[in-house]
Amino acid sequence: MAKDPKKQSKSERAQALMREQRRKERTRNLFVVASVVVAVLIIAGVLFFVQSKNDTTGKAVGASGTPSNLSGTYNVVVGKSSAPTTIRLYEDLQCPVCRAFEQQVGSQIQSAIAGGQVKVDYNMVAFLDRSSTTAYSSRALNAAMAVLSTAGSDAFLKFHSIAYANQPAEGSAGVPDSTLVDWAVQAGASKSEVTPLIDGNVYHQWVVNATDQMSKDDVTGTPTVFINGKKYTSPAQAAAAVLAAIK
Amino acid sequence: MRQWIGVAARLIVGVVDIAAGVAKFPDPAGNVRQVRAFQILPEAVVPTVGHALPTVEILIGSMLVLGLLTRSFAVLATLFFVAFIIGIASAWARGLEINCGCFGSQGVPADPHRQYALDIARDIGLVICSGWLVLWPRTRLALDNLLFPHHERFADGEGSEEAVEV
Repeated sequence: MAKDPKKQSKSERAQALMREQRRKERTRNLFVVASVVVAVLIIAGVLFFVQSKNDTTGKAVGASGTPSNLSGTYNVVVGKSSAPTTIRLYEDLQCPVCRAFEQQVGSQIQSAIAGGQVKVDYNMVAFLDRSSTTAYSSRALNAAMAVLSTAGSDAFLKFHSIAYANQPAEGSAGVPDSTLVDWAVQAGASKSEVTPLIDGNVYHQWVVNATDQMSKDDVTGTPTVFINGKKYTSPAQAAAAVLAAIK
Repeated sequence: MRQWIGVAARLIVGVVDIAAGVAKFPDPAGNVRQVRAFQILPEAVVPTVGHALPTVEILIGSMLVLGLLTRSFAVLATLFFVAFIIGIASAWARGLEINCGCFGSQGVPADPHRQYALDIARDIGLVICSGWLVLWPRTRLALDNLLFPHHERFADGEGSEEAVEV
């Protein structure tokens, strides 16, 4: 390579030029790729940050944000503790299949609770907020918890039936808070007590956490029914099994 | 011709990815639950993966639609689809009843087996598209062509018909 440049042949010089150009181009391309990658990473970081920030799951709930009269952290058991059969239910008040399930077996379950044959462990969740334009799913559960907190589990059970009987269609605007208050009063709650709880959506964070707990319990859809611990995810089988269990 | 097939592949994979990501974006808690439902990843990383999914989908989709760094992002897309196929197949094999959550939809489908089969079939179609782009990343109407105008003379030894005339 220590040749006198003048003695280089034309083609050699051309090749050297070509190599030089190729090297420059490679550097330039590397720079372009690096810039694009950095830009992508910045956008990714921003989007990821927004996602994490919008998810309040697991945030601690204070005493005023926790419903009263619960049996556990996220459930309410209705019925005599001596009842031989335990039905554990996971339900969303916006879920149409839950509504069908309640229509099919709801009244039988209620009389079996009253008769002491069964106790029902209600695990209410709200993951269908996007099925209405007003986040009905979580507002309805908040209202149900307001009823439970102020009027007890029998009133909760009534509210539960009223809410399924009047369930708004998927994709609709749901029902306004004033209607939820009406249902709560019908179920036996005091209007002056439930109104601020419903209007303020005070149990919202609890509702979010309860819904996350469902998923941690390996329950992936509603209605999910456990009868004395045996899991049913098919609503038809669950209904049949419930009827057999409380016969 | 090959470059136009590549354009179609970019648009198919890109638009599907963007649609999936945008549908997931408003419900981060739901995405976390979807990831958890597969019962594959440890709980410690489930929330992070759930939050990252829509972002990754939107970005891969956008890069493919724009035709930016096509090969790299086609590789990423292929890896993701393969991961989804494995996830769905394993959920199916274990008899889990879950919605794939591919488009942010919720709840258990009426007939999970049929749904699993459809989801896997769709993902295989998408793997074919993204795999094509890994093999032949040079396509028409791509930003790559503006950013790397001479690229094909050096790096792409494919000799596609358009490249030869440069």
